[in-house]
Amino acid sequence: MSTIASFGFWSFVGIVAGIYTLFALGVQVQFGFAGLLNFGHVAFMGIGAYTMAILVVKEDLNMWVAAGCGVALAMLAGVLLGLPTLRLRADYFAITTIAFSEILRYVATNEDRLTGGSQGTINLAGIGRTAQYDGAWQSFLGKVERGLNVSGDVATLILVWSVAALAVGAVSLVMRTPWGRVLKAIREDEDAVASLGKNVFAYKLQALAVGAALGAVAGLFYAWQFSFFSPDDFAPLLTFFAWMIVILGGLGRAWTVPVGAIVFGVIFAGTRFFDFPPFSLLDSTERAYVRLIVIGLVIIGLMLFRPQGIFGSREEMVLE
Amino acid sequence: MNAPILEVREVTCSFGGLRAVDRASLDVEPGSITALIGPNGAGKSTLFNVVSGFLAADRGTVRFEGRRIDRSAPHRIARFGLVRTFQVPRALTRLSVLDNVLLAASGHPGERLSGLLLRPGRVRARERKARERATELLELVRLESHAGDYAGVLSGGERKLLDFARVLMAGPRLVLLDEPMAGVSPTLGRQLVEHALGLRADLGMTFLFVEHDLDMVMEASDRVIVMNEGRVIASGAPADVRADERVVDAYLGTTLSL
Amino acid sequence: MFQQLLVNGLVTGSVLALAAVGVSIVYGTLRLVNFAYGDYMTFGAFMGVLFNVTLGIPIVFSALLAMVATAVLSVALELTLWRPLRSRSAGFMSLFLVSVGLALVLRHLIYLVAGPQPRTYAVDPYKVYVIDKVRLSGAQGIAIVVAAVGIVLVGLLIARTSVGRMMRALADDLQLTAVSGVRTGRVIVAVWILSGLLAGLAGVLAGLVQTSFNPQLGFTLLLPIFAAVVLGGIGSAYGALTGGLALGLAMELSTWPELAGGVDPTYKPVVAFGLLVLVLLLRPQGLFGRARVV
Repeated sequence: MSTIASFGFWSFVGIVAGIYTLFALGVQVQFGFAGLLNFGHVAFMGIGAYTMAILVVKEDLNMWVAAGCGVALAMLAGVLLGLPTLRLRADYFAITTIAFSEILRYVATNEDRLTGGSQGTINLAGIGRTAQYDGAWQSFLGKVERGLNVSGDVATLILVWSVAALAVGAVSLVMRTPWGRVLKAIREDEDAVASLGKNVFAYKLQALAVGAALGAVAGLFYAWQFSFFSPDDFAPLLTFFAWMIVILGGLGRAWTVPVGAIVFGVIFAGTRFFDFPPFSLLDSTERAYVRLIVIGLVIIGLMLFRPQGIFGSREEMVLE
Repeated sequence: MNAPILEVREVTCSFGGLRAVDRASLDVEPGSITALIGPNGAGKSTLFNVVSGFLAADRGTVRFEGRRIDRSAPHRIARFGLVRTFQVPRALTRLSVLDNVLLAASGHPGERLSGLLLRPGRVRARERKARERATELLELVRLESHAGDYAGVLSGGERKLLDFARVLMAGPRLVLLDEPMAGVSPTLGRQLVEHALGLRADLGMTFLFVEHDLDMVMEASDRVIVMNEGRVIASGAPADVRADERVVDAYLGTTLSL
Repeated sequence: MFQQLLVNGLVTGSVLALAAVGVSIVYGTLRLVNFAYGDYMTFGAFMGVLFNVTLGIPIVFSALLAMVATAVLSVALELTLWRPLRSRSAGFMSLFLVSVGLALVLRHLIYLVAGPQPRTYAVDPYKVYVIDKVRLSGAQGIAIVVAAVGIVLVGLLIARTSVGRMMRALADDLQLTAVSGVRTGRVIVAVWILSGLLAGLAGVLAGLVQTSFNPQLGFTLLLPIFAAVVLGGIGSAYGALTGGLALGLAMELSTWPELAGGVDPTYKPVVAFGLLVLVLLLRPQGLFGRARVV
């Protein structure tokens, strides 16, 4: 690779990796720890982002309060999703969760008055009026920039990774508690756990709620970083990326998630810099296709050659 | 005579066209060590599944300490004080041996998120006590050297012992053991029986176990219940049951012709 | 209006039904949820473009050729990807994730080679069949006839032939059947051939029905197809057929104005998912699936 990537570009990659860390951590809690096949995880990201934006623009609510509402609503959605569906067998549950996230995406695309429709948050305040939901974020960011004497990108990077590190630490700690012990046991054999008097259903709901909260926080940072989003930003593809990150790092450990996210970020962004043939013969849209082909091949390769991920051990293989 | 701790009445359970359990009725006396025996396919494990809530019976009732449990979820039944082991031991291989036993601790505030947040001191104290008790139980089954290992390294027989320790950790009043001696050395088996007798004496714990080793059954149990083809065909003191014609026939495979 | 929607529903439903059978037989025999199936269909649709538009072959023959091409792809992937994975005892999750990766690769290879612009088959766009109150475009007419024939053939195949019988046996127990001497390798290849044929057919039909399409064709249909499979009950080919037709009809008929104004047409997929969730709540194993034994 002959180009020297700009610092601005790589800090951008770092921010995206941080957001994906939070997002994928939710998958780790739900699947790596509790064994739940939730393939609709991106819905929680969307709920977090949209709730915050809508409350700020339409109800004039304080942005931080709106953000909290976004997280709370996502957790509620997780519980509501789980109540009727957790008793389905694993593969049916998986399809239902994708259906859930797609239904939400359709609603967001069609209910223009609520969400701005397919044009996204630009439309939130109605035609002809500019909608801004991140005013409070921008001023907070400004304070951080001045306080630490860094650029806007670096400030965001620091903020995202601070929260991500906190989340990873918190999840690690919780998994070492008796609660975490029950959760890990459920993943492996829920009948054995039930025979010891634990309410498996309640634990699964809690795992969904915690995962949803993490997804929603990721959604908030996504909204703040890009200042604009639309329903298509929350497509199932993102959920699959999160799964890939979790498996890449290794299942069942919180600290492997940021590693997986960074590797993913590098792969995803690094393909922009393949300046040698045959890639140099492609234009930018074609390179975007190649990027996704590479991601697909990485997933396949991972499963073929190292399904336990970078840090997993064969004995701990949980995928089945 | 105390009321039975477990009353099974007319329980029927069919799979497809097959009646695995056919209007089975039995009583288990509190504080007894009762054996459930019968040839393969007699329906013993199915009955265990129904009693512990893992299978819904088509008909019939199950009462534990007077309370109906045949419609209750397995974890509820375990909380009421009825705990079971499985025929194929269900060791949680990716948890440590100690964690496996700790899992069975009942009423642990640390197992609730609210407990973790609001009562960390109580959680720590409870966890300490649980560890002590768990280590004691592991010593009882001679697995304390494996306490820190993944349960996956244990052999089949060792996993059975782990199951036993785990069940005791839950502090139940009625323990259902599904073939507890299979794969366990006779000396250790003897010690477990001793311990069960001790628990029965000290805590009034009741044991209902399925077993194929008839000699052991005759020695260790107060009462024997015999099943064949889904039905309970005899129950009573070991010596009486052993002499019962129907029981002999069941094991030899002949059917009574009347 | 109602008859028109009914016919539309049958057309959509047939495409879903055929595809759903293709997904279902693979799941039933191999326990593999093939998330790349939509892109197998897209491959079929674009091969159809190659034969019909580029090479000028009439649409029906192009469809047949596209079906064969997709079957070849299907077998090639079985031999190079799925079989090696199975020999490494890859489980349900690994296989599913591989299929997700494969979907990405296939779809974007098609984007790369064929480009994102919409494609149309060389069918007279002005030809209209009018039967009673129903208007059918030429493409839709072909689609209905071909789909009907396809469904009948598939139904017969599963019910009457030895291959169908072996597929049903495999669905019951892969290990048992292997032990009993049936050449599982061969039957598995047969299953993939059939699945590929159906994918190719469904892809071309979908392309015909939608008039113009791009490489997203198969993927956008994938979830309704999975919904049809689950609705009918995983592992049941008849269930897949029924599920597909039911969903297609539900989706189209839901827009009928007599039904309290009718559903907004853009919400049709939501109707499909909603119906799926509803059925699963009432009957967790699907319409024809087997109830779970603890």
